[in-house]
Amino acid sequence: MSKEGAGFWRKLEDVPREILYTILLIVFIIPMLNPIGFPVPISDAVKKWYATIDALPAGSAIMIDFGYSGGGEPELGPLAAAVYHHIFRKGGLKPITMSTSIDGTLLWDKVIAEVNPEKYGRKYGVDYIHIGYISGTETAMAAVGKNLRATTSTDYHGASLDQFPIMQGIADASSFKLLICYTTGGDQSEGWVRQWYTPYKVPYLCAVIAMMVPTMLPYQKAGQIVSLLAGAQAGEMELLINVPGRGIKSADVITLTHILVFAFVVLGNIAYYGRKASERARGG
Amino acid sequence: MSLFVRRQIPIVLVFVAALLVMADYFLGFRTTTGPIVTDLQNWGIILSAFALGFGAVNLFYLHTRHISRRTPGQWPFSIWILIMIVVFTIIGVATGPTGPQYSWLYNASYFALSATVYSSLGFYMTTGCYRALRARNAEAALLLVVGAIALLRNAPAVAVGVPIIIPMEAWLSSIPTTSAQRGIMIGAALGAIALGVRTMIGRETGFLGRLTEAERRGGT
Repeated sequence: MSKEGAGFWRKLEDVPREILYTILLIVFIIPMLNPIGFPVPISDAVKKWYATIDALPAGSAIMIDFGYSGGGEPELGPLAAAVYHHIFRKGGLKPITMSTSIDGTLLWDKVIAEVNPEKYGRKYGVDYIHIGYISGTETAMAAVGKNLRATTSTDYHGASLDQFPIMQGIADASSFKLLICYTTGGDQSEGWVRQWYTPYKVPYLCAVIAMMVPTMLPYQKAGQIVSLLAGAQAGEMELLINVPGRGIKSADVITLTHILVFAFVVLGNIAYYGRKASERARGG
Repeated sequence: MSLFVRRQIPIVLVFVAALLVMADYFLGFRTTTGPIVTDLQNWGIILSAFALGFGAVNLFYLHTRHISRRTPGQWPFSIWILIMIVVFTIIGVATGPTGPQYSWLYNASYFALSATVYSSLGFYMTTGCYRALRARNAEAALLLVVGAIALLRNAPAVAVGVPIIIPMEAWLSSIPTTSAQRGIMIGAALGAIALGVRTMIGRETGFLGRLTEAERRGGT
């Protein structure tokens, strides 16, 4: 093979990053502007998550931890919104939220504004509440589990918890039938296992950013987590509850960008072996 | 201050506090230790909240020094961070940390920037995959195949079109990934237990602050 041939393969191997970024950006923007509507399979994990909430008897309290930061919102926010839609539509449940992330209260506000609980006839303090950011992460989980009222006596606006009907009969972890955690941090996702599942056996649904899933798999396999989801599966949950939102919009983007990255990997390898073959031919 | 005050008292306090919390957690002495442990945990929460405030003060101090020394390449950013700390603090105190003005400020600045920085990882990973995932040898080829399976499985439409990829990825997640992760977790847990025991008995003294070598060894 000619010297020019080797040069071509080398150039292909070392495509400037700006070109790769531009192609990725184009593939990202097109389905955002014009959704294609690719099929989205609903995984067993999503079905199990849905079924766990659906099986809760009326009056069940759910502890929800908004333990993610602003960077994780685009991934975890849509899932949190979809799950709230399910909870509010089912009705009769008592979702009590706290935040182990300092951004949690503000991100919860965003999700609640998106869900619009009034649409389902749900009222703050009666059907749902946020008891605020509690610092200390795992210490906060342990303290709330042991004695919620001794840990915090107000909601996230500073109003006394005693005035809210939803808080009646809520004392500690044993008052809750389910625990849900959305998080971008291992301290939270693993901490809830140690502080709530192990001592109190509260069933635990965990949603993390995709890169954290392998870390959490052993807990799921051991039965300590009922269902483990990556935030990117929000589209599946939206399909299941039939409330399309941000998650399903991003499903097309996820499909196309993943295929593009796969194509890049194949192309990179073709270029690598093309250059090797070309160099061998010249050497021989 | 004598060594007894600086070293022995903190170690005894740590030992007793750790013992109480462990007895409460592992041995189920909840009726006896419960109220004490509740207090200890609440102290922990207050201290960690205090640490946040302390961190902000420290940040202020650090960046004020950068500005006064005109540290090259740093001081303009130090001015910016101090301005943002002051703006966030004033609006947060005036309207409350969940007030509309504070929420707007958070959403328009920190949230947008934070999501942008996190999203930019996608671009780095794309070029990383293009350049690094090469089948240079058997191990790299294996990594390439596993990576490709995981990549395609997480593309929803591909999983529908090529359903065989779902059980393949499920097996990879359930068996090799979980096994390796368990090994890492058990190793880390054993390390944490060893560190905890050493801290309780005063062999780890990092939490005491700066001690001389002789003090660390137990001398004066």
